[in-house]
Amino acid sequence: MSQGQSFKLFTRPKFDSSSLVVAWNQDVGRLGPKVVDYLTGQLGGRELGEISPEGFFSLSGITVEGDIAQFPESKFYRCRNNNFVIFRSDIPRFDWYGFINLVLDIAEKYFKVKQIYTVGGMVLPSAHTTPRTLMSVVNSSEMKKILRNYDIVDDMDYETREDQRPTFSSYLLWAAKIRDIPSACLWVPVPFYLMTVEDPQACKKVLEFLVRHLELKISFADIDDEVTEQNQKIELARGRFPDLDGYISKLESNLGLTADEGEKLVKEIDELLRGSH
Amino acid sequence: MGVRLYNEPELVDPVLIACWPGIGNIGIMAVDMLRRMVAAEEFGEIESWDFFYPRRVLIRGGELIDLEFPYNKFYFKKTGKKDLLFFIGEEQPSDSAGVYAEGTKAYRMANLVLDVAQRFGCRRVYTSGAAVAPIHHTTRPRVWVVPNSKGLLDEVKGYENTVLMSEVEGRDGQGNITGLNGLLLGVAKKRGLEAICVMGEIPIYIHGFPIPYPKGSKAVLEVLSAALAVKIPMDEINALIQQSDTEIESVYEKLPSEIKEQLDKLRYVVYTKPSEPEPITEEDKRKILQEIDKLFKKDTGRGQF
Repeated sequence: MSQGQSFKLFTRPKFDSSSLVVAWNQDVGRLGPKVVDYLTGQLGGRELGEISPEGFFSLSGITVEGDIAQFPESKFYRCRNNNFVIFRSDIPRFDWYGFINLVLDIAEKYFKVKQIYTVGGMVLPSAHTTPRTLMSVVNSSEMKKILRNYDIVDDMDYETREDQRPTFSSYLLWAAKIRDIPSACLWVPVPFYLMTVEDPQACKKVLEFLVRHLELKISFADIDDEVTEQNQKIELARGRFPDLDGYISKLESNLGLTADEGEKLVKEIDELLRGSH
Repeated sequence: MGVRLYNEPELVDPVLIACWPGIGNIGIMAVDMLRRMVAAEEFGEIESWDFFYPRRVLIRGGELIDLEFPYNKFYFKKTGKKDLLFFIGEEQPSDSAGVYAEGTKAYRMANLVLDVAQRFGCRRVYTSGAAVAPIHHTTRPRVWVVPNSKGLLDEVKGYENTVLMSEVEGRDGQGNITGLNGLLLGVAKKRGLEAICVMGEIPIYIHGFPIPYPKGSKAVLEVLSAALAVKIPMDEINALIQQSDTEIESVYEKLPSEIKEQLDKLRYVVYTKPSEPEPITEEDKRKILQEIDKLFKKDTGRGQF
């Protein structure tokens, strides 16, 4: 593997060993991107290199989101004086195995990556007032031992349903296992009505782990402000809209919502947090 | 990366029967049933991870135990005359997001399958799929046959209950076979191998149903077992037909009466030459398929992990 058409490195930093933190742009509650953006913002992240979209993404045109033209990106970042690398990427549409192997090749060869952590949100029918939990799925007993020192739910049993497919993070975890790279997928349940917006509480939960585990020095003030602001907005809306309050109260009492109620709640919260209320 | 063979059976002039899923699972059901009925033994596979997105993750106690991919397996059966080689693919590989094989991955897989077949001396290939036809579900489906050379035409004309493309009204001997069940015929032709695709008919309105159509599979099974000179019991497929007839009838009853009236005309259609003008217009077809879609709307997506 050498640089060329498939990837480019902008700098050649020296690593003895490093950890790779992976986030996918298509994530529930924008959890992964928000976590890595916060880290790069706080720690002065710089681009290290990128994977070319050719062969992995549809290049037949562009999508527009929030009035902005989007183009697939797959970039590595480094935060100065820290031994970890961030990989933030769109999930490829084609040649998934080739893409994952390229990420791992680059990570091992150029960044001496010895551990990998993916970050992702999972949708849960819970209320935003429920404390977030950090969950992990590991690919080795070695990683399980490492995570034992943290407050993480690490004993899940799961099988993909017949009509669904595994996440791309699970695919990466499996490929890392073949290469004997101890890795973990870190998951935080996100209340379903925050899945289209952001969940700063979930973001903080992951950040707390990464800060402690990777021995980072960051301020939580900004994310704390976001949590407070979001909670206040929702509280105010609960006071103004009895239906919305009723739906959230039901969830807080561990009662389910009908499909119609759930849809209304998602719509109301989306409008509220995007500022159209 | 590529093919893994667990053993190298000695085969006599083997015939390859290869199949991937398609409309109504007609071909795959017939070929897989044939494989089971003759008790063919598994002897190899094409490694999947370079071709497919995984289909299932297994997590136990917070640890990823396994990631399963769609399988692509080879089987063989010694018959004493022409031995049988089977290849069954659980999904069609594609470079695009489509259901049917397309692009370099599909071409690579077709070549890998034929590499194995030729390694064992195979010179004849069968594939199978579905032919969407203006027929009613109460009529006996026929089998459309497409060989990959003129030299095979006389032979396939001799198969019972079959139709050539040239016998289908309005087709003038032309058409296409989507996905690997078709592509394999072309790749075989390029290599000088004889190949025939046998496609069981499926009523136009049923190909949108998310349920198999074993009646079409039985028609394929009858043609394949005769062509390969193997006798197979039909009890299992007959039971499946009975079950699916009940399911189809229950869906049929839920269709709006004006759609049912249109569909009932298909009981009397002869669409092969010579024929009366088609009783259902293109606009009718569009409406019928829209109604069917409405009945079977469903969600698929990524799992939690």
